Order: sequence, then structure tokens, then C-alpha cells
Amino acid sequence: MTGQAPTPVQMERQRQRARRYTRPGFLIQLALLACLVAGPMLMPSFRVMDLVAKIMIFAVAVASFDIILGYTGIISFAHGMFFGLGAYSVALICHYSQPVQYHHLLLAGLLAALISAVVAVVISALSLRVKAIFFAMVTLAVAEFCHILGYQWSSLTKGEDGVSFKLPGVFNADWSGGSLWGTQINGRLLVYYLILVVAVLLFVGLVRFVRSPVGRVLKAIRDNEQRATALGYRVFRYRVLSTVFGSLVSSLCGALFAMWLSYVNPDTVLGTPLMLNILLMVIIGGLGTVYGGILGAAFIKIAETWLPDLQKLALSLWPKVEFMQRLAERWILLFGILYILSVLFFPKGVVGTLRDRAEVRRLRRLGRP
Amino acid sequence: MDVLNLAHGAFFAWGAYAGFAVLNALNGLGWVETGTLGQGILSVLLALLAALAIGGVLGLFLERVIIQRVYGDHLKQILITMGASMVLAEVIKVLWSPNNQTVLVPLSFTGSYDVMDVVINKFRVVAIVVGLAVYAGVMAVMQKTKLGIIIRAGVENREVVQTLGYNINRIFTGVFMAGAALAAVGGSMWGIFREQITPAMGDENLIFALIVVIIGGMGSVTGSFLGACMVGLAFNYVAYLVPKLALGANILIMVIILLIKPWGLMGREQ
Repeated sequence: MTGQAPTPVQMERQRQRARRYTRPGFLIQLALLACLVAGPMLMPSFRVMDLVAKIMIFAVAVASFDIILGYTGIISFAHGMFFGLGAYSVALICHYSQPVQYHHLLLAGLLAALISAVVAVVISALSLRVKAIFFAMVTLAVAEFCHILGYQWSSLTKGEDGVSFKLPGVFNADWSGGSLWGTQINGRLLVYYLILVVAVLLFVGLVRFVRSPVGRVLKAIRDNEQRATALGYRVFRYRVLSTVFGSLVSSLCGALFAMWLSYVNPDTVLGTPLMLNILLMVIIGGLGTVYGGILGAAFIKIAETWLPDLQKLALSLWPKVEFMQRLAERWILLFGILYILSVLFFPKGVVGTLRDRAEVRRLRRLGRP
Repeated sequence: MDVLNLAHGAFFAWGAYAGFAVLNALNGLGWVETGTLGQGILSVLLALLAALAIGGVLGLFLERVIIQRVYGDHLKQILITMGASMVLAEVIKVLWSPNNQTVLVPLSFTGSYDVMDVVINKFRVVAIVVGLAVYAGVMAVMQKTKLGIIIRAGVENREVVQTLGYNINRIFTGVFMAGAALAAVGGSMWGIFREQITPAMGDENLIFALIVVIIGGMGSVTGSFLGACMVGLAFNYVAYLVPKLALGANILIMVIILLIKPWGLMGREQ
């Protein structure tokens, strides 16, 4: 301590630090984590576990997309492609190495990170120099190319049929280790916990990244590029950094996704529907919030699991009208309309809007001492 | 117009489906697969007109309802036109079906001419004629008429044109409609040429359009023309040698151009 009296800003920071373990936000996080850990024990249903695992993976993927779109203001249509690169590196390494061992998984993760980092550096170094808009177009083209490559390079990727593979040792779906407190311990459950651990680590990493000095610079660039340049920040480098970081996390998510399904094919991990899903999730959750990813992913994935019921409903309500059934089949249409409406009228998404309200309330409280 | 429209591919697909629907309806009258030359020409003309109308209406709707709210914000333009393209493609799947459809081609346009041992597909000739006519028409309007001057000035500086008393919003709506209508006509020509259409055909062609624009440079028709020639030739030659790498060759060209001239061949630095 220097002996000087703390400034008001320092005092406010200290107060916030002292409160950090009793904040409602922290308690919600803790409760969510507890639910995720205890979930498979409390609800031993495969459908629920499958849903939760997918939500976790997509929450991180969407949050990493938010780093690029929401915090840096760049549109990348290659986020799904990076997801697919990660998924394919796990799938191919596990498929072609006999017998598959634990270090292969580690190797696959490293390979996914390396490939996606190199590709992201090349793409962004080429197209971010000019204008952020070029980046959108170049990524769209490259992503489509990778999708086609996934189909055509069938000697490696087995084309349309996709690659199915087995995970090593205890992660293998056939492995069984008895039961604990009435819950079957098997390979699926252990993969679930692996996903949980990695996803939480990645998510914490993303949150730390956003709150770091680099994250602040990114926000500054997004809000006023000229000013950030004038302050001496190398805008181009920061943009490349954020794109590479986001893409790398996305590829790791893809690797987790492949491990969960033990199967990949070009349409599910490289295609446009995946990219559109991620876009939808990030818009609904809220741009520039990171936590929005959880809500967006949960909303879309839960809706997706319920939509078959919607089709049955349509079938029972209008058994004769083929048009209504086709409409119910095309649920992406509903999502698309929701997406357009939220871009137009609700640009901050659920989390952003809630945060704005909280901020207004806080300022009002400060205004009335 | 400084609008990034990723829904252009959807207009293309809608045009193809409109043409397909008209040809199917006319086939009920016996005009298409069995008709005379006059009936064949008339049915193709009607199909193109239907595509033109559908494209115009969709363009009007999209511009008025959605795009006018996001002028000047590129990020939102990309996001929202992506959404619009998704919705339009889904509506196609609702109205027709998600599967491929076979387009009926009028009898008089099938087959090919044989000019000194060179086989020329009949419809290719039609496509080239229509394409040149559209290009000449657009160039004439843009270069020779007062409307063209207003549009070019409006692209350069919106506010000044507005202060001179022209309703630039209405004019830009018209330009957008014209663009959408032409994309739809192109789609319907493509459908008749390929004899097969899918709901995803818009996106497939959008990729080429993007590569062409990036290579040629934004805001330059001549640049786009050069880019289109390069992309088309490279695609065909590479497809002949190594079929699987055809799109890859185009992306490679794009990368090289971006390295040498980051603004595209004819683009101006902004």
C-alpha cells in the first residue's frame, strides 16, 4: 500500500471484489455447474444426457463465435468449418489408428488446434487486411469448399457415408464399470464428464479472454476503429488474434462433438445448416455477451428435440392438409423468421437485454445515494 | 448500392422455380413437350416473365420490409440477408418439395445445331442472346438515360442526390427490385438449361458470385466481367483435368488476387 487514500474507483472495485462470491451471477453459475455434474445421476435418461451434452458443446462453440462476431465485429462464415475440422481430426485419427489409445485423443486435439490455427491465420491474414466484409465472403467460399472436400475426398473422409470410429479404453461405448449409487458407469457417462470438464475449461477461458486487456481492445476496435488506431493499437493484429482464438476453440468443440457421436459426416459437421444453427444461437442468446451462448444453444437444441412432437401435432390437427404438414416439417423456416425478427428488433438478444436492464437499475440506484 | 445481399442466390432459385411452375402449367395445354415452335418460344418467354415478376415482387418486399432498416450497417446486412435467404429457401421447400425437380424443356429448344461439325446446344444460343441483351440493356440504362445518371450519382453520394430533389429511397428500391428480377431471370434460364432444379441451387451459385465479385473488385461491372471470365474458364479447365479440385482452383485464384491486389482487379481503395 502506498499510504494514499484509495480513490473512489479503487473503493468500488474493492467492494465488488469482496462481493464476488455472493453475486447472483456467481450463484447461478455454481447451481448450473452442480446440475450438470449431478444430472446423469439424478436423471438416468439417455435422451436428456444427449441433449445436455450437445447444449454444452454448442454453448462453447457459440460463445467462441461471439468472440469473433460480438466482440470484434467480424462475420466469419467458417466457424462451422472449424468445428468440422476439429471433428474430422478426431474421427480420422481414431478411425485409422489400430488399436486406438488415449494419446491418440490428445494428438487429435492438438492436431485440431494446429490445423484450425493455421487455416484461420491464413484466411484472416489474406482478407482482414482489406475490410471486414471481405472476410465474410472469403470465409463463406472457403467453408463451402471444405464442405465439398468432405464429400469428394472420399479416400480419406469416406465421402457421404461419414466416418464412424471407436474411442479408446474407458471412453468406449462398450466399456462398463459396474454401477455407483444406482447409476450405470459406462463409456458414454465418462465421455459426458470429459465433455463437461473440457467445456467448462474452455468457457472459463473465453470469459477470461473477454475480460482481459486484449478483450477490452477488441471492444474498442469494434466500437470505433479509427480511434483505436489513433491510440496506437495495431487493429489488424488484434483482429487476427481474436479470429484465430475463436476458431481454435470452435475446432476443439468439434472434436468433443465427434467424440460424443463417435461418428461424423460432411453434412452434420461441415454443412451450412450447422453454421446457420450457430448464427441463430448467437443472435437469440445475444451478441457480445458470451453467456448468451448458453441460452441460445439451450433454446435451439431443446426446440429441436421437441419439434418432432410439433409434427405429430400438425398431423393430428390437420390430417388431410398436406401443406400444413410440410410447413411443420420445415421448422427451420420458423427459426429463420425468429432470427430475422431478433436481428431487427432484439439485436442484443436475451442476455444483452437483461444486462441492459440490470445496468439501468444499477445506475438509478447510484443516482439516488 | 453498397448493400451486401446474400439473399441474391435465393432470388435465383425462386426464378428457377417460377419458370418451372409456368412450364409445367403450360405443358398441361400441350405447349411445351409437344408444341410448335411458336408455342415453345412463347412458353419460354412466359416462364422468363414469371421469373421477372416473382423476382421483382420478392425484391420489393425484401427491400421495403427488411433491408431499408439496415442501410449503412454492413454487419446487420450480412446477418439479415443470410436469414432472408434461409427463409426463402425454406419456403421453396414448403411450396414445392425439398427434392430435385426436373424442368420440362420445350421441344423446339432441345437438341443441338451442327455447324461445320461443331455441336452447339440450342438453348445455349438462346442463353447467350438473352444474356447479351440483358447486359446491353443494363449498360444502356445506366450510361445513356437520366435514370442511370441519378442511380450512379446516388451510389456515389446519397445525400447530395437527395438534396437535389430526387427520392433516392424509391429509386434504390427500384434498383434493388431490378437486381432481384434479373437474378430470377438468370435462375430460370439456368433451370431450363440444366433441366433440373433444387432448393439449394441459390447457395451453390452464390459462392461463385462472391468469388467473382472479390476477384473483380466491388463496385465495378467490368471487374465482375473479368472475374466471371476467369472463374468460368478456370473452373472448366480444372474440372476437365482434376474434376474434384475445380472449386479449389477458383479459391486459389481468389487468394492470389487478394495477395497481389487486396481490393480486387478493378476495385478502388476506400
